[in-house]
Amino acid sequence: MATPSEPERRPHSIEAFVRAYEGGEGLLGFESSCGFKTATWVLVCPKCGARDLQETKLADRGTIAAFSIQHVPSEEFLNEAPYAYVVVDLDGGGRVTGWIAKVARDDELKVGDRVRYVPTYKPGVQFVREAP
Amino acid sequence: MRETWVVGAASNRFGKMTESAREAAARVALEALDRAGVEPRQVGYTFVSNAFGLAEHQGHVGPLINTALGIPDVPSCTIESACSSSSAGLHEAFVHVAGGFADVALVVGAEKLSHLDTLTATSYFATGADYAYETRNGATFPGLYATLANAYQHRFQIPAEAFGSVAVKNHANAALNPHAHFQKPITLDTYLRSPVIASPLRLYDCCPFSDGAAAVVVAAKEAVPSPSAEPLVIRASARAGSIVDMHDRPDLLGLPATRAAAEKAFRQAKLAPSQIDFLEVHDCFTIAELLALEDLGFYPRGTAGRATLEGETARDGRRPVNPSGGLKAKGHPVSATGAGQVVEVFEQMNGLAGRRAVARAETALTHNVGATGGSCSVHIFSRR
Repeated sequence: MATPSEPERRPHSIEAFVRAYEGGEGLLGFESSCGFKTATWVLVCPKCGARDLQETKLADRGTIAAFSIQHVPSEEFLNEAPYAYVVVDLDGGGRVTGWIAKVARDDELKVGDRVRYVPTYKPGVQFVREAP
Repeated sequence: MRETWVVGAASNRFGKMTESAREAAARVALEALDRAGVEPRQVGYTFVSNAFGLAEHQGHVGPLINTALGIPDVPSCTIESACSSSSAGLHEAFVHVAGGFADVALVVGAEKLSHLDTLTATSYFATGADYAYETRNGATFPGLYATLANAYQHRFQIPAEAFGSVAVKNHANAALNPHAHFQKPITLDTYLRSPVIASPLRLYDCCPFSDGAAAVVVAAKEAVPSPSAEPLVIRASARAGSIVDMHDRPDLLGLPATRAAAEKAFRQAKLAPSQIDFLEVHDCFTIAELLALEDLGFYPRGTAGRATLEGETARDGRRPVNPSGGLKAKGHPVSATGAGQVVEVFEQMNGLAGRRAVARAETALTHNVGATGGSCSVHIFSRR
């Protein structure tokens, strides 16, 4: 139990991250004092070693940094192929991965396209394309 | 540190094994010991890698292999570092021998996955990535390297033929290698017609799921001063790590762990890339070979594709890369892969490489990556 002299530290977990995006609350992440932002579960900043990571809500929107159309999926995505696996630079910082349904060809997407996170009953962080 | 040698190395044919990983591991270990002229009882420690042993309902394989070799009292442990498991084992053997904790150490890697269906095997391979933040979001193992290929193509406008030239070269080399999974050359046309697995990567950009086993015998020069074969002097044994999640790394244009391990290795060996005669690099996908050549310091970023297209890395080129056929065509039996690369160096330096012999084999480098670069080993060898 925290004493008044200790800063309050919220317990965090991978499960909390998954529940948040599945429940439509958005993408939870951490921000380090060096400015590094990530959704990945860490206790110490992998960039600067700081321990004072602040839990933060990451932006829902961002741009595609890299992508690949998956034609041979893993077990959980068996009924989704083809789809795009995407690496997304979120507005305001933080880079996450996710997927976009019903993309079959490379020329349907390009690096720099705008995307938005949407809650879904399917596994993973799902994005949809936004109009340019 | 004591001068430390590889005194023996052996492998079976990668591809499909009818026997278990445990049986294959013990068999190649004995062959490697025989090539060195070392008796099993001289082994002071055994480092075993069998990352997917549970697929055969078997863990704790070290003592089983030692028992099969008639040395049940010798200590052993299992080393797991995804696809770089047995090169991590080699590093541990080097540390033990060079540091004086063992005179002779045995490194064995073995894997058997061919009894699994493709979907299950794909899921097993993906366990080297971050399940919660990559795999669960739809990434397969090819998909992760495909995003690296996508970022690389976006930055450098590399034609598909550059990736294809890696595949064509490595299949041509494997066709001359009796240890190789695939022993048939392919053409660029075959490559370009192959189906897309994870864009931009096609079927022939991807290494196969292979079974296989390979073993390496490491010894102090003073403990085995006159091995039966020409020993390889271990000039450097370096490992490095990196954030597993590729998207959390500073950029997608290479693997930071390769850069860090290479820097350590060249410093240890007191050698420069220009002094390396040939390489065995981790080409689980064609893009991985291009990135490796650039991360290891052999080519500036964005230029390894052109060099490959121009034949510089061919077996008869300026500096041969993957004369064995690499993971791409020799095969990728996960835990046997790193030890298998050393088998190729051993055979090249001992005149056992037959028609795939490179013109000059005085120095060599092996590069073995764990999954998408969370771990990496770089070893440098030379003849005495």
